[in-house]
Amino acid sequence: MVEAELWLFVLISSLSYMTPILLATIGEIITERSGIVNVGIEGILLSSAFASVATSFFSGSMLLGVLAGTLAGALLGALFGLFAVYLRADQIIAGLAINMASYGFTVLGLIAIWGHHGASPRVEGQLPYFSIGQSTVPLLTLLAILIAVLSWFFLFRTRTGLALRACGEEPRAADAMGVNTYRYRIAATTLGGTLAGLGGAFLALEIAGVFTRGMSAGMGFIALANVAFSGWNPLPAVFGAYVFGFLSAAADALQQEVGYAYLLKTLPYLGTLAITVLTARRSRAPLRLGVPYARE
Amino acid sequence: MVPLVSMKGITKVYADGTVALRGVTFELAEGEVHALLGENGAGKTTLMRILYGELRPTAGEIFVRGQSVAFRSPQEAMRRGIAMVHQNFSLVPSFTVADNLYLAVTSVKPMRRGEVEGRARELGARLGIEVPLEARVEQLSAGMKQRAEILKSLLLDAKIIILDEPTSLLTPLEARALLGLIKELKAQQVSFVYVTHKLREVKEVADRVTVLRKGANVGTFQVSEVSEAEMAKLMVGAEVERVRRSRSGAPGEVLLEVEDLAARDDMGVERLKGVTLSVRRGEVVGIAGVQGSGQKELAEILAGLRRPERGKVRLGGVDVTGRSPREMRRAGVLYSPESREEGLALEMSLVENSVLARQGEHASGVTMNWKSAEERARQIVERFRVVFTDLWERARNLSGGNQQRLMVGRELESEGLLLIAHEPTQGLDVVSAEKVRGEILRFRERGAVLLISSDLDEVLELSDRIVVLFEGRVVGELKGGESDLERLAKLMGGAL
Amino acid sequence: MSGEALRALSETALALAAAVFVTSLLLLLLGYDPVSSLAVMFTYGLGNVEYVAAVAAPLVLSALAFLIPLRAGLFNIGGEGQAYLGALSFLYFSQQFGALGLLAGGLMGALLGGTLGALRAFLGVNEVIASIMTNWTLYYVTLFLVSRHLTHPEFPHRSIDVGFFLGSWTSFLLALALALLALVLLYNTLLGYEIRVLGSSRRAAAYAGIDVRRVTVLSMSIGGLFGGTAGALKVMYVGHLDTTMSALFGVGFLGIGVALIGKSHPIGAVLSAAFLASMIIGGHWVELRLGTPPELTDVIVGVMVLVLSAPYALKLLQRGGRLG
Repeated sequence: MVEAELWLFVLISSLSYMTPILLATIGEIITERSGIVNVGIEGILLSSAFASVATSFFSGSMLLGVLAGTLAGALLGALFGLFAVYLRADQIIAGLAINMASYGFTVLGLIAIWGHHGASPRVEGQLPYFSIGQSTVPLLTLLAILIAVLSWFFLFRTRTGLALRACGEEPRAADAMGVNTYRYRIAATTLGGTLAGLGGAFLALEIAGVFTRGMSAGMGFIALANVAFSGWNPLPAVFGAYVFGFLSAAADALQQEVGYAYLLKTLPYLGTLAITVLTARRSRAPLRLGVPYARE
Repeated sequence: MVPLVSMKGITKVYADGTVALRGVTFELAEGEVHALLGENGAGKTTLMRILYGELRPTAGEIFVRGQSVAFRSPQEAMRRGIAMVHQNFSLVPSFTVADNLYLAVTSVKPMRRGEVEGRARELGARLGIEVPLEARVEQLSAGMKQRAEILKSLLLDAKIIILDEPTSLLTPLEARALLGLIKELKAQQVSFVYVTHKLREVKEVADRVTVLRKGANVGTFQVSEVSEAEMAKLMVGAEVERVRRSRSGAPGEVLLEVEDLAARDDMGVERLKGVTLSVRRGEVVGIAGVQGSGQKELAEILAGLRRPERGKVRLGGVDVTGRSPREMRRAGVLYSPESREEGLALEMSLVENSVLARQGEHASGVTMNWKSAEERARQIVERFRVVFTDLWERARNLSGGNQQRLMVGRELESEGLLLIAHEPTQGLDVVSAEKVRGEILRFRERGAVLLISSDLDEVLELSDRIVVLFEGRVVGELKGGESDLERLAKLMGGAL
Repeated sequence: MSGEALRALSETALALAAAVFVTSLLLLLLGYDPVSSLAVMFTYGLGNVEYVAAVAAPLVLSALAFLIPLRAGLFNIGGEGQAYLGALSFLYFSQQFGALGLLAGGLMGALLGGTLGALRAFLGVNEVIASIMTNWTLYYVTLFLVSRHLTHPEFPHRSIDVGFFLGSWTSFLLALALALLALVLLYNTLLGYEIRVLGSSRRAAAYAGIDVRRVTVLSMSIGGLFGGTAGALKVMYVGHLDTTMSALFGVGFLGIGVALIGKSHPIGAVLSAAFLASMIIGGHWVELRLGTPPELTDVIVGVMVLVLSAPYALKLLQRGGRLG
């Protein structure tokens, strides 16, 4: 009976873990559909987690914290877009740079604000949620799923979505058809950063309740794995995020039950690696993904 | 009368310092077809991309119906009724035709999807250019893609349509249909700029012609008042002595045999559907066909870069089917590919590119022998007059023509029996092109040549025999010297 | 000086200027004194050259771990995990075999790098994602081993001591020798030529008859070899591992920065490793003297790499900002 309850708990708490992965995945799908690959979402998750904790610490408002995290994500997404789109940067390297700078900057802030090298104090307050039996599900999780559906509609059923996908498939043709590739691409990276930022805020305020040094811990890359796993489509991404979230939730729950904390912590990473290996080459990426576009 | 378009003193200097246009003046009158004639690199496309708002001029003024304009994007040009059909088309291949039309039209004016499709059907039926709206563009033939492009321009209410080398990818039959369509639209007050390097088409379709040479306007004429020879002279700048073919006696034994070869391209489309041909020692065999007829796949199979689905390749009587690029080269195949991005490592130096694909010959054990590589580079750049500043500079820094000379030169400088030359003179000025052609003819003494080129004059001039491909099959074989263009053109279009 | 070297230098200068500017703003914002912090950071590090050599040695190697595959067009972000594995192997094997433990560290790294390369070459697995997943897996495996199997008998939070030691200068000379070896490999061997052709263009590599899979696996293995050795050198210098991972964490990631600031050239990597090492040491001084956190270094490296990722930015500056 304890077993069944444990697994039920894991299945429900997976919903929580899936949320930042899902938001980051949707953001990255929109970014990649426009032809830009941003591996800096790892750093964006981290920076926005920090921004949200710091803001709610000073303002005492969780909601302001969420807002600040989202805004930080938008700013970093736009910064990355500036480099990737207008300055024709090597996108992988620019993304790694965002990750490095985010790590340094957030630790700097952690020490400057709280004088602590490892973690911030716990944040006070609770984000809105609703209950299923004895478990609770955060409202933002539902919002994330709603965003997935809306993003699918946006990408595949609207004119703007069509134009955005054209930029990722054949920017030269899109440009000649009057679609401003530069503008679409920078809008996509900004939107992508915004969603990852919301995810980062959720990670810190809801899942952890604190900011800890390097707390994104590869979650951005798990989202990147999910982008390919879901075939650059936000709807399957919900399922993918749940699977990846389940691995984290199971690792966490089992640690408390059986010990072997360190070994169990490898579960999400090994699981992601296994899924990536098993599903590699299954679906087709946008044709011009990662290729800078220049008119002349 | 105020001209429809007037471009004055247009100069374009690219970021890398290349001067593409030097003060060009160009006018388009209402209801005319105006040909823009010039060699590769003369600046025709650059001038039109400026008119279409894709590029900004470094200097000069543009007037549309007398009003000064400075387009910052194609969108702004479209709003003024200007449309451009690019040589390689500007459609998103993975989208349907309907998606493409909808996207283009709505970037200029709001319109519902259903309305775009309805109007496209109606217009297509009226002009006899129906296009399957629900088909994905990548599945369409070049002719169909062009129809879709023209339909797109008309849906945008374009009164000025720029056609950039519109027949380069078409079969002769499709090309003829296009010329008919132009005449019909002209009657409906649509004006055309017809960019081409083909004299015959100028004569056939245009009212006036402007000739560009090295980025300058060297004259505008009524087509009826100027001969093809005069235009050619203006275009090239001087009379060029064409290579005369000296028949090298009877061909020798069979060197290459290709039997029932079938293959798909990277997208999985069946491109070769059972090709059989042979090449004898001492021959130049030309392969003619519109782009996409299977010539690229044929070349790649012979170079070991593509595996055939069925069929045999024999070289000197030995079965070499499915061998690797390295093994093919060892068997004596030299390959100058269509794309310089393929045949050169552009981020590496001239020296390093001089040994590309025969790097093993310039290594002793595991270490490279740069002395011998440098020597080889020197031979190539001297013989093929590659202009460079330092043998160790990146090939990327060379102009396109110099890159081409380096690549073709490297193959011609090598030991081998069979040369596969795919578009060997593309991007070359007339003098260099003649030099390369001369070298190709001389290669016959060492073995044989398979020449693949979209320049039919080149094919006719150099080939002892011409094999015509159409949709992946051999549809005819002609003798080089006595073939006429008319017959060749018919075969290329699949008319038997 | 050749035009190419001059350009590389002005790009690095631009990147450094941007980094100093951004970090100064950050420090101001967080209430630290930017002028004295940066002054201490850039000067105090040079006070003890032997210390710089010791810190630089593993960085040279973790830079090579990223650099060699990069020249083949591959992103070995797995230097971090390769360093963990190398450190563990060295820790274990040096107990019995002394210096051979270094070799064991390198070989284990090579095995891991080669595996990532093979996944990419034969199954099409994205090497960036696979690298990060192995990094984090090995991070926790290391913690597990340190706390359970290689644990010090008296201090449960740390490992046993290494069984072999080299002085700072010897370590640095070893790293320098390996960098020279990498230089020869890249520019004077057939494999190096093939690696660079593949990095220039996959199509050109296929055209040249280069076995793309073989070069992918080999270049990732060589990268892993350097990554593993980097970890071994690092743990050798510190003497043991502990459960904060402070000895090892970041050595692989910093190597990426070192490689890129060194313009993806082995000699550049040595210079930039020395530069970064002095900055890291300066960073500790900043913390001691002014309380400014040493992670300042990460911000500077991140901003520099961001600017260097876009060489076009420099061209744009030279042209007065006109997009073209």
